[in-house]
Amino acid sequence: MTHTPVPARCFIAATLALSLSSFAMPAVAQSQSDAPSATSPAASEPQSGTASQDVSAEDTGGTTTEEAATDGPQPEMTVGADWPYYGGDARATRYSPLSQITRGNVAKLEPAFTYHTQDLPEGSAEGKYSPEVTPLKIGDDLLMCSAMNILISVDAATGEENWRHDPGVANEAIPYGATCRGVSVYRNPDAAENDACALRVIEGTLDARLIAVDARTGEPCADFGTDGQVDLWEGIGEKVPGWYAVTAPPTIVRGIIVTGAQVKDGQAEDAPSGVIRGYDAVTGDLAWAWDLAAPDRNRNGPAEGETYTRGTPNMWTAGVADEELGYVYLPLGNSSVDYYGSNRSEAENEYASSLVAIDVTTGEDVWHFQTVRRDVWDYDLGSQATLLDYQGTPAVLLPSKQGDIYILNRETGEPLTPVGELTDLPTGEVEPDFISETQPVSEWHTLRKDALEEKDMWGFSPIDQLWCRIQFRRANYDGFYTPPSADKPWIQYPGYNGGSDWGSVAVDTERGILIANYNDVPNYNQLVPRDQVTSKPINEQQGASEGGAEGAADPQAGSPYGIAVNAGWRNDVTGVPCTRPPYGGIRAIDMTTGETLWDRPLGTARRNGPFGIPSFLPFDIGTPNNGGAVVTAGGLIFIASATDNLFRAIDVETGETLWSTVLPAGGQANPITYEVDGRQYVMVTAMGHHFMETPVGDEVMAWALPGQ
Amino acid sequence: MSHISTDVQSETSAPVTDTIWGVKILGWLNVLLGLVIFAGGMWLILLGGSWYYGLAGLGLLLTGLMLNRYMLEAVWVYCAVWFGTAMWAWWEVGNDWWAQVPRLVAPTLILILVLLCIPSLARHRTKSI
Repeated sequence: MTHTPVPARCFIAATLALSLSSFAMPAVAQSQSDAPSATSPAASEPQSGTASQDVSAEDTGGTTTEEAATDGPQPEMTVGADWPYYGGDARATRYSPLSQITRGNVAKLEPAFTYHTQDLPEGSAEGKYSPEVTPLKIGDDLLMCSAMNILISVDAATGEENWRHDPGVANEAIPYGATCRGVSVYRNPDAAENDACALRVIEGTLDARLIAVDARTGEPCADFGTDGQVDLWEGIGEKVPGWYAVTAPPTIVRGIIVTGAQVKDGQAEDAPSGVIRGYDAVTGDLAWAWDLAAPDRNRNGPAEGETYTRGTPNMWTAGVADEELGYVYLPLGNSSVDYYGSNRSEAENEYASSLVAIDVTTGEDVWHFQTVRRDVWDYDLGSQATLLDYQGTPAVLLPSKQGDIYILNRETGEPLTPVGELTDLPTGEVEPDFISETQPVSEWHTLRKDALEEKDMWGFSPIDQLWCRIQFRRANYDGFYTPPSADKPWIQYPGYNGGSDWGSVAVDTERGILIANYNDVPNYNQLVPRDQVTSKPINEQQGASEGGAEGAADPQAGSPYGIAVNAGWRNDVTGVPCTRPPYGGIRAIDMTTGETLWDRPLGTARRNGPFGIPSFLPFDIGTPNNGGAVVTAGGLIFIASATDNLFRAIDVETGETLWSTVLPAGGQANPITYEVDGRQYVMVTAMGHHFMETPVGDEVMAWALPGQ
Repeated sequence: MSHISTDVQSETSAPVTDTIWGVKILGWLNVLLGLVIFAGGMWLILLGGSWYYGLAGLGLLLTGLMLNRYMLEAVWVYCAVWFGTAMWAWWEVGNDWWAQVPRLVAPTLILILVLLCIPSLARHRTKSI
């Protein structure tokens, strides 16, 4: 297909001429370094429960005032001036009651400050950075981690650094990407206000440690584990750097830190366990372990010389805490070998890709809701679940990579919205007895589009489009849930990037509107018979592993097949996607009816083009996107996430973009909004993403309305 | 089609005065693209897919061959290919303009180039007659 370039280049030449005006845009971003730099070195006074707008009339049930006891609900911090949790409030709604920035004045936003973490890839970390960082804001401070887990506190009004604590994570610990989505904080109810670590910042690291430091000084908490650290490799087995890594903020419920870990996909059936563990937030002692294949035997850890059950489904994304019930809701992923299932245990089949509710007081699972049966598509649950009241019932909302959105009863896991059933699904030739003929789907709302047709094939010219049509016709494809095949490729649509991924959704609890950004991208996959697999599992590799898209060539050792994934199904010569745009969108959904209020492509074509050449097209094309949204009482959605490197404000009621600015690097992270001294800020980190192919950066950037 | 092949024969018998490089290059480009699209198009037809590419490839190949012989009729053949393409493209994806990019942009660029050949082809015809 080397003939493709001719017409494609013609097209690029023409579009370059069309859009010279957009060259002016990066200059705007440059000026942000001229931000005010007045220092305010005053010791920060972390505080919770700042002047509170009522977030929503929900069942917080007086948890904000009652005296904390380790076996009862503990006080929740309030979102507003602060952004005290990864998901904004304790419920992970990503809704802020702030309203200083409105639809009327958002166009006047100007840069407030830019902070540089100075954590940029060096050596073998090159091409592996995907920081995805979302700071917390508590009191006067922003609290965050960097890609390599450096804990940092920054003055929320000026961007001046208060302190940093570098745990010294080595490059070899990077699994699929150097990622630290965020940190969590915990206020020790038994400590006095000025005690060391009364308020502590807790993170999980790529080299599988839990680290607790004092929120005011960054000093490790002496009372936590050993010198402020807990080793998560304990009970996991042979220590293979990069195979077992924490990338999500831990969830803290009733004084218990709950964490899973990312187990690097597709390596081997004999992989680190997906065990979920709870630790005392003050002492770091193991409170319980939930090993889904041996919950009773391993509740207090495996016996000497044993490990937690290997290869079980893990949780790499963020859980959400329910102080009221004492539950934590955990979106589990799939087993370690994603695309072949016949060797899995019944326990794995039961729990893989399920939302699991665990009672943190006992470490036992209360209920689970499975979103895909016998998952052979890497349909991990990637999105953090959100707590809300659904028509008077305490509920948990769960988006999936397949695009389905479920609303479940928090106490029982019973669906509160209709769940349908696909039947007579194809079972394929590879493992027809394993593949499920039925699958659940949400009949309340799905982000998923109709199945692909040949006419959906794309390119920049008739020739690459023709090549994609040939590929389409050559592949196995029977629509959604086409099972894996080895004789020829199969099309997986939606691909493993979603639907909804780790950015999750935002819920405007006042207006009753759910905001969901999503990907709309297929993968083109093929199982590779064992004797043709050339890649080795991570525990047999020499030196640093290669970067690259997840599953591009994974060994799946122990199963009869390796896996080759063409993520996003792109033309191998031009890099242009084989399917027509949009590749991603953002949608508003009426929480009462589940109906779409508006839906639009997210992301312009400015950075995309054949052979990786930016087209500078300012038109909305709808790019792949990673990272979620914030929605505010001011009627605005703030979101970056698309691969066009723009950060934008969108009208929650119409979907119209009211403001945008060019970031110096990819904005694949969830934004936040907060207030200091009566001034509302919006913030996003611009740090890039290797898989999304956006430029790497180290910027933490804030905008606000011009000072009075 | 039959009158075109007659033209081809009458044209070959006419003495060629000199080479018009622009027309020649475009002619060979169309031959090349036509061959690729025709071959891929036949493959697609065998796989049970659209017939458009096989037909369009053939039209492009014919246009190229005729351009190489300085036949003004090449313009009419290509216009037919272009109009067929536009109608097919509208039938497939309507006003989804992003989806129209691979269908219409390159064929339209070639249309412009073919139309730019008209003066040269007309001059050549006058000379050779």
